[in-house]
Amino acid sequence: MDLIIEKKQIKDWLAELKKENVVIDSKKDALPIKQYFFPPKQEIFIFNKETKELESPDYKKEIIIICHHLGQLEAMTQLDEIMGKPNPDFFYWQRREKSILIGLIDESVEVAPGGDLVLEKINSKQYRVLILTEKGKKIIKNKFFKEIDKPEIKNYLSEENPFKEMLLDSELLADAVKWSKNHKIWDKLAKKCLGCGICTYVCPLCHCFSIDDRVVLDDKECIRCRQWDACTLPNFAKIAGGHNFHKTIKERYYNWFYHKFVRAYKEYGKAQCVACGNCKRNCPAGINIGDVLKEIVEDYKKHGKSI
Amino acid sequence: MENLYKPFKVKIAKVEKHSNDVKLFRLEKNLSFNPGQFILVSHFGYGEAPFGIASSPYQDSYIDIVVRRVGTLTKALHKLEPGDEIFMRGPYGNGFPLDFISGKDIVMVTGGCGIPPIAALIEYIIANKDKFGRVYLIYGAKTPNDLLMKDNFKRWGKDIKILLTVDEPDKNWKGYKGMVSELVDEIKIDAKDAVSVMCGPGPMMDVLEKILRPLGIPDRRIFVNMERKMQCGIGKCQHCVTGDKYVCEDGPVFNFDEVDKNWD
Amino acid sequence: MQKPKISIYDFTDCEGCQIKLIALKEKFLILGKRVDIVNWRLGQENNESGPFDISIIEGAPITQYEIDLLKKLRKESKVLIGLGSCATLGGIPGIIDKAQRKKWYKKIYGDNYRPRGVDALPLSAYVKVDFLIHGCPINENEVIQAMEDLLAGKEPKYCDYSVCFECKQANNPCRLLDNFPCLGPIIQGGCNAICISGGSPCYGCFGLREDAEKKNLIKILEKITDQKEIDRYFSMFLNKVNK
Repeated sequence: MDLIIEKKQIKDWLAELKKENVVIDSKKDALPIKQYFFPPKQEIFIFNKETKELESPDYKKEIIIICHHLGQLEAMTQLDEIMGKPNPDFFYWQRREKSILIGLIDESVEVAPGGDLVLEKINSKQYRVLILTEKGKKIIKNKFFKEIDKPEIKNYLSEENPFKEMLLDSELLADAVKWSKNHKIWDKLAKKCLGCGICTYVCPLCHCFSIDDRVVLDDKECIRCRQWDACTLPNFAKIAGGHNFHKTIKERYYNWFYHKFVRAYKEYGKAQCVACGNCKRNCPAGINIGDVLKEIVEDYKKHGKSI
Repeated sequence: MENLYKPFKVKIAKVEKHSNDVKLFRLEKNLSFNPGQFILVSHFGYGEAPFGIASSPYQDSYIDIVVRRVGTLTKALHKLEPGDEIFMRGPYGNGFPLDFISGKDIVMVTGGCGIPPIAALIEYIIANKDKFGRVYLIYGAKTPNDLLMKDNFKRWGKDIKILLTVDEPDKNWKGYKGMVSELVDEIKIDAKDAVSVMCGPGPMMDVLEKILRPLGIPDRRIFVNMERKMQCGIGKCQHCVTGDKYVCEDGPVFNFDEVDKNWD
Repeated sequence: MQKPKISIYDFTDCEGCQIKLIALKEKFLILGKRVDIVNWRLGQENNESGPFDISIIEGAPITQYEIDLLKKLRKESKVLIGLGSCATLGGIPGIIDKAQRKKWYKKIYGDNYRPRGVDALPLSAYVKVDFLIHGCPINENEVIQAMEDLLAGKEPKYCDYSVCFECKQANNPCRLLDNFPCLGPIIQGGCNAICISGGSPCYGCFGLREDAEKKNLIKILEKITDQKEIDRYFSMFLNKVNK
């Protein structure tokens, strides 16, 4: 038996959910769904100058997020791990724990990589329901979902993605990127990259941030704010007094790769990349990260081990 | 869930001026830590930054930090007085490898405002002097005025040998000038069983070439306390990376062998 | 504690950035409680002369009188702030070039006209400026943040990200990817990408950001459009700072 929802009923189901919940469809978002748990700018502490007490803004809003990409769901599973152990990121979990993540996927799903609930397209009229968590279970106990024996199941292939294949051997990627430090490709990219930071903003896994303090205009409060940073920006590794540990765009751009493919591999055993292609699609300079990796890996295989 | 970013309030017990732009702040806090660890100090409205703890790990009523006036936060801290309250969290980081270095001769090298974590280590060594061999401190600065924690030199000098050196001596200066090879002649260690502990800022490579290499201390027995930009202190924000490592979590003390292999 | 004395001056410009100050509304009243605006031609009748704690100057000086006044204000002010692109970059008055100017003088005013004006340059061409609040017009948050910092004894800080950060937050499609010119990636953020959200390109009124990869952007622009158009983009606000 499979749990099914008719395609034409999804709209009604979502409308029903909207009566009691905030439902966000991420389809048209320029930024990945990490933004709902890790907002681009967020007030994290308020210090009252009169009472001298410190408060953290309360967060009570429960949200349901509709996500249309398997890559994003997979990224959320990884981001949960990054923001979890061993030091949980309070502000991330404050929002994440109050959220329900629904994947609405128009391709066949072999293994659901994350989320609370995945609706998988099985034919032109129906979606099959994959329940991943208790939270997901709760929102399908209604008239829109029904059990059907042997529904028609068609195979909807995802687009071919050679980059995804490369990610399977994350050890090789780690070795190759580490080896590539003096590779000419970084000089080439330094003449191409605009350092605008878009790749890090649209990456579903990039999570670096900076923290800044304000003394509010009325002088009654101080607000501590955290906001997304981007390791391609010039001040990312600059300390008070002016010394910069990553002076050039070349060093900074290499650091971005190093984090995703080397440091992440050492920390979590896999690359911090789900081959979603967001960075490539959004790079105004037309840098194709997959192609860059391919070139590095090929050269590493050819010359790497001998050097 | 515990909010690891939330600092706690701490009262300033004492402020000492150590040079034109450096002050020591004594914070009323019983904190258990290892020498080489750091805390994140917040002055709300002005920011948060890491500071190495300079006081003895055996001191249970206060901790000392040494603050050079260099940016927004440190400028604001310099305006504070005893009785004022600030916020802190920590201790963070690994600290010096106390087990590994005990029983050995030690050469400590630092410059200018790199002294705080070394000072905490010196206090530890003095409290456990039976466990250590011959201990040296080479402390360099630009001018004699830039040498910090001077009041401790006399007391430390009873148990460890202190070699002071400055780049620009004044007419009363009796120490050395620059990182010179004569310093090496003063150091009598068993190179086979000696370790070195360094803390920036300053020309570390200079120290390495002119002092530690001639002494014959291998890289794997040199430990460096590193400085990086830091925001979260808990291995999330990515600012403090050096190669594969986070200075906040994996450091700030690294084996030189390790540092050498990192790419920045 | 005595309130800091503020003066607000304007040179040649449209006065729009001063209107943006008034548009701060409630926040402007809060600011008014913390500072004494002792000299503001546009905003009040009774004006005192210097010294001032902070002088905020809008517009580009284009006459000798304005240049002399600027130098005087620098001497009389502890902190000097440029307000809006005309003051910070030379801005719109800086677009015009000398040859063109001569031609139009003749055409409009006739042969006998003796011009008084000099080329519009940013304030920093004449005096040291402590902080630049860019924009055509300025963004309210930037003024508030700069005033918050100054009143708290901090040095105001420049936004170090590009326009793209806020542009992505505004959910805009990337102009460059759609083959339309845009200077966003190399321009300092803080404007909330208001132009791009409104369907216009970024012409850089917030100035080049730190370490702007200008050469790399030009390579992209060259694929999208011709040299004349690229020059036009870089001369809209950056004519006098983009050498």
